[in-house]
Amino acid sequence: MRTLRDAFSFGDLPLVERIGFAIFIMFCTLFPWVTKGSFDQAVMIQFLIFCLYGLGWNLIGGYGGQVALGQAKNVGMSAYTVALLMVWWDIPFWLSTPLGVVVATIESFVLGYFLFRLRGHYFAIATIAVSLVWQQLFINWDLIGGARGVELPLKETPNFLYMQFASPIYYHYFAFLLVLAAILYMNWFRKSRLGYQLRSITSNEEVAESLGINAHWVKVKAYCITGVFAGMGGAFYTVYYNYIDPFSVMHLELSVMIALMTMIGGAGSMWGPIIGAMILIPLDRYLGAWLGGSGIIGVDFMIYALMVMIISAYEPKGIWGIIEKVRARR
Amino acid sequence: MEMLVPTIISALLMGMLFALVALGLAIIFGVMNIVNFAHGEFLMVGMYTAFLTATVFSIEPLLTLPIAAMVGFLLGIASYYFLVRYLLKGPMLAQLLGTFGLMIFLRYLAMCIFGPDYKTLEQGVLIGKSIKWGSVVLSYPRLGTAVLSLIAFGIIYWLINRTRLGKALQATALDVEAASYMGIDTERMRGLAWGLGGATMGIAGALLTNFYYVFPTIGILFCMIAFATVALGGFGSIKGAFIAGLIMGLIIDLGGTYIGPHHKFALVYLTYFLVVVFRPQGLFGW
Repeated sequence: MRTLRDAFSFGDLPLVERIGFAIFIMFCTLFPWVTKGSFDQAVMIQFLIFCLYGLGWNLIGGYGGQVALGQAKNVGMSAYTVALLMVWWDIPFWLSTPLGVVVATIESFVLGYFLFRLRGHYFAIATIAVSLVWQQLFINWDLIGGARGVELPLKETPNFLYMQFASPIYYHYFAFLLVLAAILYMNWFRKSRLGYQLRSITSNEEVAESLGINAHWVKVKAYCITGVFAGMGGAFYTVYYNYIDPFSVMHLELSVMIALMTMIGGAGSMWGPIIGAMILIPLDRYLGAWLGGSGIIGVDFMIYALMVMIISAYEPKGIWGIIEKVRARR
Repeated sequence: MEMLVPTIISALLMGMLFALVALGLAIIFGVMNIVNFAHGEFLMVGMYTAFLTATVFSIEPLLTLPIAAMVGFLLGIASYYFLVRYLLKGPMLAQLLGTFGLMIFLRYLAMCIFGPDYKTLEQGVLIGKSIKWGSVVLSYPRLGTAVLSLIAFGIIYWLINRTRLGKALQATALDVEAASYMGIDTERMRGLAWGLGGATMGIAGALLTNFYYVFPTIGILFCMIAFATVALGGFGSIKGAFIAGLIMGLIIDLGGTYIGPHHKFALVYLTYFLVVVFRPQGLFGW
């Protein structure tokens, strides 16, 4: 009961934030009815998927202060589990998704258990190393499609069990529900015991340990939860696109994008990942569509990189940090 | 089995280049305890500098070394004064993602200007030639690269251990405050460390251009090799960087020959992983 109340009560937040959240909900609810463009709707769904990834990454990267650059492998593992179970044994989405999430979480657990013996940059580099190993493995592993990827068989009629719908509106609302659940979870998390423990470790690990917090265990738990978020996102990604390959779900670029996005929005704040996704995803897609024809590649990533450099040099708390500063001045 | 000796020799030659690559990272880390994710991208910039000067002015690739070193030096200094100086004030997360941002920026800048294609140099004193010695075939580019890497390594080692400037650099590495009380301009020393790191990468890049493809995303590979090498040798240790570079060369080439070329870089990451988990101080770390 207490848990539910914590998750649903936003009463401790300032009025402005509550209004902002309400506007966000209204915007997402009305969006498919206002816009009819399929490209805009696709961008919106992308935005929601990245919100989910970012909210998850914010747990370990923001609240936990651990630079984990390996979200893509959790996304990929879950996505591959869902896709392969469906291709091989025709197992519906609702059964394979829990399995995919479990696989992603177990990977997080095993990796976190070993890697959290490391700190700071050792940890960050190790997560990159592990992601690159997985990426190589998935590209060269013929049993699961190798570099060609996996294509999901399409059913003749729209099918709820396999999450195959005729209209993107259904995907939009499903993704929106996932994001809402994630926001509610984060709202509970920041008031929970684990949330306080994690933040105390971030501000000073020695002091936290001297107060009896098992820092290693707390970090592992947080990393597992991050894995759950990524797993959910990966499972949804699979059924939405009906096609996955190691470059779209397993690639280091995805991990980088998630981290940069959260950092720009404001790591360690409730709304940071959403703000980051709100800026980066439309920028990425529309810029990509605009520049795509001219054959210039990489401008989008250059812009994020510049933003990240400026933000980490002048305002490490991201855009949310700037908002809070402005608010404090008034 | 008859492959073993040539592979080992060729691996050790390559290892000298890895040692040079690791040296740049070790200097920067040693002086200010910050990890440079853009390290591999400095190498990429060095490669493109060498490639462009060699092809546009059609001069001998080896003569582009000083130009690449200069470009690397300036790039390192600029990174320090425009970015890293501010990053050092922030938390760990900002430091890591800041240089990470620099890496992404340089990488996609190259992608934007040169496109994703693989390019190779076709003309040069060393290119395409080899020396045969019994069953051992040594390619000139690898041999020349190894010798020049060794010389560059030696010069930087001398610079750091035997000159006043190097002493000041080491003093800054040991204790910034104490060094500044002794009248050392620590800010300049830190800038210099980045310049030196950049210059080594410029040289390494120019050497690598002689026998390797030039493409924008090469950075991450060498960055990871450098991280693994430096972790193996011990962060901040120059002697460690050298020995670990040779070991890394052996791991990559022997792994590539006997396990399979697809997995040779996975071995690098595995090495890093094992070292940081089981011996975090590396072979020669403190």
